[in-house]
Amino acid sequence: MIDHSGFSLADVPLAADRTVGFRFVSSFGAVFEAADGTWVLSSAEAVQFAQRHPELFSSAGATQAGSGIPIPLIPVAVDPPAHLKYRRVLDPMFAPRVVNAIEGDLRAQVRDLVSAFADDGECDAIRDVARLFPTQVFLTFFGIRLADRDQLIDWVETMLDYSTGVGTAEASPEVVAAATGLFFYVQGYIDEKRADPGDDVLSRVLALDGDEAWSNEEVLGFTFLLTLAGLDTVAAAIGFVLLRLAQDAELRRRVIADPALTAAVIEETLRLEPPAPWVTRVTTEDVTVCGSLIPAGSSVILSLATANREPGTYAHPDEVDVMQADRGHVTFGGGIHRCLGSHLARRELRLVVEEFHRLIPDYEVAPAYRPEVRWPAGTLRLKTLPLVFPVSGTQS
Amino acid sequence: MMRIVIDETRCSGNGRCYTLEPALFTDDDRGYGQVIGDGLIAEDKFDAASRAVVACPEDAISINDDEPVTGSGRGDP
Repeated sequence: MIDHSGFSLADVPLAADRTVGFRFVSSFGAVFEAADGTWVLSSAEAVQFAQRHPELFSSAGATQAGSGIPIPLIPVAVDPPAHLKYRRVLDPMFAPRVVNAIEGDLRAQVRDLVSAFADDGECDAIRDVARLFPTQVFLTFFGIRLADRDQLIDWVETMLDYSTGVGTAEASPEVVAAATGLFFYVQGYIDEKRADPGDDVLSRVLALDGDEAWSNEEVLGFTFLLTLAGLDTVAAAIGFVLLRLAQDAELRRRVIADPALTAAVIEETLRLEPPAPWVTRVTTEDVTVCGSLIPAGSSVILSLATANREPGTYAHPDEVDVMQADRGHVTFGGGIHRCLGSHLARRELRLVVEEFHRLIPDYEVAPAYRPEVRWPAGTLRLKTLPLVFPVSGTQS
Repeated sequence: MMRIVIDETRCSGNGRCYTLEPALFTDDDRGYGQVIGDGLIAEDKFDAASRAVVACPEDAISINDDEPVTGSGRGDP
């Protein structure tokens, strides 16, 4: 039995190697109490139990973006039955058939981004693709001017760089400044769409009337959350997928020879490198999980990252193995709060890999590059991913 | 014959079933999984259906023996 009295999420050694970091978390047990009184659920069984019992593990009050701005993050910080009201409206807007309809447009956007450096022999895949594409997709989806892309990225990255993504610690001045900027931007955009609706997600939410109508605060919380959730997480995942393929030439060649493997590599990378490795809940009553009693009112961390590496579930829990990709993962969460944008995110990832390989099939990480992530942070992501590749000279 | 069943109280719209086995499952307008037709499958589709059972993160899919209801007093399985 390890003495877990000293456990603190901020001290988990994640920066250089996530396998080391996540194994460190699991080593404290399936369910344990951290030094600050927070409880951690690290096993798949414990995480799944919490996901399937939202009446015991409440999201209301458990989830803040560390913004310091007290607005309800809709729908992640909402419990049943109100939660269903939001998801009934939102699920169809983010369903696969909606993503199918815009796939051609999204593919053209990522193709343009890759074309811009395909003849250069080098790129920073984070700066040149991963940061830009998900933000552009978000702007397309929400009907926001593409010209605002870089300002939005700056606010979101600042907020996530200076927060832990879990708990409700007081926000730093940098975060408050960025959050305030984003807050007023989002409010201005809502006012604009109210006056001049378009064919986008926000206009459709604003068009709800009668009992279904959302208050301004609800719309604000929803838009604010989607900005935070949709930009940085997909950017992070793109970075990890391209890193994996850049480091493993054999895997990359297999994917290029058999593009059907693309989805399997993406799923395995999502499993091993979840951009949001944990989510938070608050217990509504005393509850026993895997033999441990968690008192009512406790802050609980659902460690998705360690549930994804359950030794009994995967033949190779810490490695990419396309043969085990069907076993799945909880990187997009589970239960009623399953990530609203999961279908869109998966499509974005596939389009990036397909279009990258179409123009740049052979690439590797730049010499001496160390793929480190910043931790603690709101999202696990690579800061840079310098790639080098041969230039054919025949590309038009 | 066997019958594929999705427990709608468990499905949360992950979409793994219709992504991996589009011949057996489809998506509804919320992106939730639906069994195509009546869900009855012949033995040669059992492996494909089992793949979806394993892939579903909510354990919402099951494959049940489907014997015709004859009114002979046989109880529910």
